[in-house]
Amino acid sequence: MRNLINFLFKYSTWIIFIIYVIISCILLFNNNPYQHHIYLTSANKISSSIYNGTNYITSYFHLKDINEDLHHRTSILEQEVISLRKELQKYHDIIYNDTMQVTPALSQYKFKIAHVINNSIHRAHNYITIDKGSNDSIESEMGVIDQNGVVGIVNIVGENTARIISILNPDLRLSCKLKGNDNFGSLVWDGKNPNEAILEELPRHAEANIGDTIITSGYSAVFPEGIPVGIVIARANENDDNFFALRIKLLTDFSKLGTVRVIKNMMKEEINSIEKSSKNTN
Amino acid sequence: MSKTIIHFFFLFIIMILAQVIIFNNICLFNVAIPIVFIYFIIKLPVTLSANWVLTLSFIMGFCIDIFSDTHGMHSLACTIIAMMRRNILKLYFPREDDLTNPEPSIHSLGIGVYTKYVFTIVLLYNSLIFLIESFSIFNLGLLILRIITSTLLTFLIIIGIDSITIQRREKRL
Repeated sequence: MRNLINFLFKYSTWIIFIIYVIISCILLFNNNPYQHHIYLTSANKISSSIYNGTNYITSYFHLKDINEDLHHRTSILEQEVISLRKELQKYHDIIYNDTMQVTPALSQYKFKIAHVINNSIHRAHNYITIDKGSNDSIESEMGVIDQNGVVGIVNIVGENTARIISILNPDLRLSCKLKGNDNFGSLVWDGKNPNEAILEELPRHAEANIGDTIITSGYSAVFPEGIPVGIVIARANENDDNFFALRIKLLTDFSKLGTVRVIKNMMKEEINSIEKSSKNTN
Repeated sequence: MSKTIIHFFFLFIIMILAQVIIFNNICLFNVAIPIVFIYFIIKLPVTLSANWVLTLSFIMGFCIDIFSDTHGMHSLACTIIAMMRRNILKLYFPREDDLTNPEPSIHSLGIGVYTKYVFTIVLLYNSLIFLIESFSIFNLGLLILRIITSTLLTFLIIIGIDSITIQRREKRL
């Protein structure tokens, strides 16, 4: 027993060192961003209040109020555009197939305005923190956009703050398609340039020209169809011969992110309840 | 003694706030990132026991991790640096008993030894951070460029902070 205590005293530095290294490695290799606890991310109370304070000062440089009014206006207009587009789609479908009934999901999406209080663009895995949380009915896995295009997906929600996985994070894959022809692929960031990303897994036969616009596909229920994402600037190499990839210039300027809109999908609960009931019957 | 504790307590808080609010937003030419908070680890007194150095460095790294969403990256690098600090110092300054002041500075170590000591720690820290970060995305040229530019930037800022604090102390005396 005495020898053991002597041993522990003698090598206490190494023991402490090893314990700390193990703790750090557990944190480091707990890779899935959905598993991170809220106290260990920038959405916790202390860090969010500090970021709130600094943002209060720096937002004067960006003329916060004028921006917000403009965003409010654009969000109303955008909602209108989406509903009109849906209406148009409905008539299109009726012309092509008048036996099938299309659900009138005009008010399926709602927008909430939020301010970015912390943002990074130059790390390998980038996250954004906003100042709205569960008190403003923000939930995880909601889509986030700004006036130019897609920003990311909500991941951890606190009472008054939420953390967003930015598109500039290799963990996020976004289903997108080429405007004009409906060939879709998945958008992923390659970690090099915060203004560019790669659209992968496009089918071989799809046609794409430099300057074409990339929009969201609407397959995931997180983003409505047709939100602009980027512009094709070059072809990129894909390992697999059956697919090809495109280099995309992102429309969103992540270095100037100020006010964003969180998309609430009103049909989500309905979809979830249907999925739940189907599970119960099984 | 209690004066030193209060001094380091404030240094701890100021370094975290400075790193989180100011230096985390700087990215020169899209490659160079200043990692200034390790100034706290550089400055810890030589006489402080290794266990305390490890613990304080780990807590420092952990706080930075929480603020900047990096999950254990900085805590791991800080712990390793804290373990190597004593050996680096011994490498350049073998006679530890000759120190006039337990706190490493230009006065206590001499300008040559001190700059070598700071540069080695900054270089090691940046290499560790960028290596840990690039486990998932590997690009050797960019990695080396990032390490070199970030080391130079961090080194310049730390020497700058040091020269300011030394001038103030002299004025007080």
